[in-house]
Amino acid sequence: MRHRLAAVFAVILGLAASAFASVDVERLRGPKLEDLYFVIVRDTDAQLLALERGTTHLVTDLVRPADIERLSRREDVELSLTPAFHMMEMGFNLRRAPWNRLELRQAIASVVDRETIVRDLFGGYALPLETFLPPISPYYEDQVPRYGHDAERARALLAASGWNWDGSGRLVDPSGIPLKPVRLLSPLAQVSPTTAELAQRLALAVGSLGIPVSVEPLDFSSLVERLNAHDFDLFLIAWSLTRDPDSLFAFFHSSMDVKSGYNMPGLRDEAMDAILERLRFAPDETSARLAASEAQKALAELLPVIPLYSRYSVTAHRKEWTGFIASEKTTPDNGWSLLAIAPSDGSTAPFRWTLSDEPRNLNPLAAGTAYDWQILALVYESLLAIDPYDLSDRPGLAESWTLETVGEGKTVSTRLTFRLRPGLLWHDGRPLTASDVAVSLERLKALEVPRFFDAVSDLGSVTTPDGRTVVVTMNTVSFWHLHNIGGLPVFPAHILGKVEEWRNWQPATTIHGEGLTELVGSGPFIFREYRPGQYVHMTRFDGYWRLRAEP
Amino acid sequence: MTYWSRRLLGALTVLFFVLTLNFALFRLMPGDPVASLIDPRFSPESKEALRKAYGLDRPQAEQFLLYLKRTVTFDFGLSFISGRPVWQELRNRLPHTVALTGSALALSGLIGTFLGVTAARRRGGLLERATLTAGALSFSFPSFFLQLLLLLLLAVFWPLFPLRGSVSVPAPQGAALIADYLHHLALPVISLVLLSFGSWALYVRNLMVKILGSEPLFLARAKGLPESILLWRHAFRTALPPLLTLVLLSLPGLLSGAVITETVFSLHGVGRFLLESIQGQDYPAAGGAFYLLALVTVASNLLADAAYGMADPRIRFERERRR
Repeated sequence: MRHRLAAVFAVILGLAASAFASVDVERLRGPKLEDLYFVIVRDTDAQLLALERGTTHLVTDLVRPADIERLSRREDVELSLTPAFHMMEMGFNLRRAPWNRLELRQAIASVVDRETIVRDLFGGYALPLETFLPPISPYYEDQVPRYGHDAERARALLAASGWNWDGSGRLVDPSGIPLKPVRLLSPLAQVSPTTAELAQRLALAVGSLGIPVSVEPLDFSSLVERLNAHDFDLFLIAWSLTRDPDSLFAFFHSSMDVKSGYNMPGLRDEAMDAILERLRFAPDETSARLAASEAQKALAELLPVIPLYSRYSVTAHRKEWTGFIASEKTTPDNGWSLLAIAPSDGSTAPFRWTLSDEPRNLNPLAAGTAYDWQILALVYESLLAIDPYDLSDRPGLAESWTLETVGEGKTVSTRLTFRLRPGLLWHDGRPLTASDVAVSLERLKALEVPRFFDAVSDLGSVTTPDGRTVVVTMNTVSFWHLHNIGGLPVFPAHILGKVEEWRNWQPATTIHGEGLTELVGSGPFIFREYRPGQYVHMTRFDGYWRLRAEP
Repeated sequence: MTYWSRRLLGALTVLFFVLTLNFALFRLMPGDPVASLIDPRFSPESKEALRKAYGLDRPQAEQFLLYLKRTVTFDFGLSFISGRPVWQELRNRLPHTVALTGSALALSGLIGTFLGVTAARRRGGLLERATLTAGALSFSFPSFFLQLLLLLLLAVFWPLFPLRGSVSVPAPQGAALIADYLHHLALPVISLVLLSFGSWALYVRNLMVKILGSEPLFLARAKGLPESILLWRHAFRTALPPLLTLVLLSLPGLLSGAVITETVFSLHGVGRFLLESIQGQDYPAAGGAFYLLALVTVASNLLADAAYGMADPRIRFERERRR
């Protein structure tokens, strides 16, 4: 076992230290690729075989330790690993006893052996977690109270607060009532075998404190239904987060303790609410960072959920392709890489990227899955981009921007001013101007598109003083408006303006000029063909601003 | 009321029940397509907007009437997941699924029947023993295991077949596309034939052994009827009605697809569509697909009835006598 662990850590260290040249992304000129194919290969084993045979050139989201180790032994494949925006946690129902007792939650946090769980279930390819944001987050706070694995301390903590144990070893609360049997809600083993196994281990750990726990496996819909109805004691859930920590507001603010709200544990704490409001409505980055840090510290004290682990993101690519952009925070499967990669022998071969599922919906107003956005993100650009090295804001369509708090009293609001790059073009050759940005924002709000509903719900007004300047005034104050508005895809006004009912729009099959569909954006690649079940074909947009800009 | 009028009325009643069950079952499942959306980027307000867009905020009776009207006119609405018309989704997938499962059914049926008949004729011989062993083995293997093994052997070590999909990337044009498609289809079909010919062979062999041992066949053999006429014209014809029923009742399975095969070989078929529609509680997609399956099942049953009568004069005579 020791040898195996040592080998795993060697692989992890090797992958994490993979050397990728640091590139100034602002000076990046590309894409160099002419043709790009997203090849749909659903079965994991078939994905590995295709990569090994060179039929595809990149595979993402490798999860099984055996697969990672198998590919790490190959000379022709390069593996990369970074922490991911993933969090697995066990939650309590704070609305009912005994979970409303802080010392009980803290004791449970101390009997969970995260290191062993990560080693046994993931072969070491996950990160034990005691914080409320994963370490990859730019707002991650490391200095939070931690509980470690210490069963003796857990029992001592309970005993000191008046808890004891009856003759059969069952935990008895301070008022003398033995705890009743409880259930831990978990996904089905057939759907998620590792999470089901995790649930069994957690039930054993919690049971070691004298709490009679059994696992209740449920299909996903039933599990969500029970959580929405607040009908549970303990639950397991995994989150896929983004770089902004304002999701903490959705998870733990008392206003979100409603049906279908994300405050599933039902935390209601005035001090916590105040911190989360400071986070959500922070006027600038400095105060946002401060509030995020405070929130994580306070949550680690209150423990409405117990963070368990965060998965790594592991990607493999063929070595005959060079130029990938990656860092300690970004694996090579990103849009920056697609601007820079080329075959190492100088040829002009097409690049084949493995998609592990169908892009089910190529209507950007209705698209929901990561596979849909893998394609759409190359068609549509946003005002802001994300730096692959530190995840900070970088210029996208906007070369510069400002964020101000304007007004006083009840009329105080955030004003964003974006200055567009000169000479931006749509795929159909028309110029991209400030009015396209204004129409995009206004139409997204008017159409009430659910995916963008929260980003534009506070939109006040949009003005365009000139063809390259957009001034967006929001109805509230929040630093996150910058990311919400700056991260939205920008659509051509001459196409979006014609869309009346967002659900019925079929842009990928509606012809718009020669060789083009209505999926017209300003991004580096033009959508050409989607052959269902087979592949998506994209070609380089020769009018892309990074190709035409001065080196 | 004639026999066929009664059967048609029965079929329509079954279809109505299937439609009602289709509607009720999916809505009786916990949650709905929006409730299962767990993403902090979707606030409760944005989820409500989505529920409204899907028409899930309307009264159940109104939803049911709309569903009935749409289904009967084959306008199944837009899939919640893909946003495309359900009928278009099914139309895209059906040819792939029918090509895969249809060729596999035809080949495994033919091979299985031939082996079954031959084994029954030469009892105790090497062929019968081989057929029994191969038959038992073929449907004992988990399909994903055999299919991955075939991929490894015939697509990686000896790359005779492509690894994935229905066409090459990029797809060739014109006649080359057909050849390319058949080349891609070969390995999935071979795997399905290997997995299913055994059950056919065993079924036919058992049926034929019973028939060949029956008194009329014993008498025919005693009268000196040539073995081939005895076998194919008398014994096999007696075995034909249950075989026909089996074939016709397999027809709905041609449409429902083969989920595991489609996954392993990355094929674009109905099987995965059905699975994803149920998992994602995509009411229009699942409702449309199940209605289509019910329609084919009911039609296959009627066809089986008709075929049974054609193949076995006793059945036809009995129906006419009851009229």
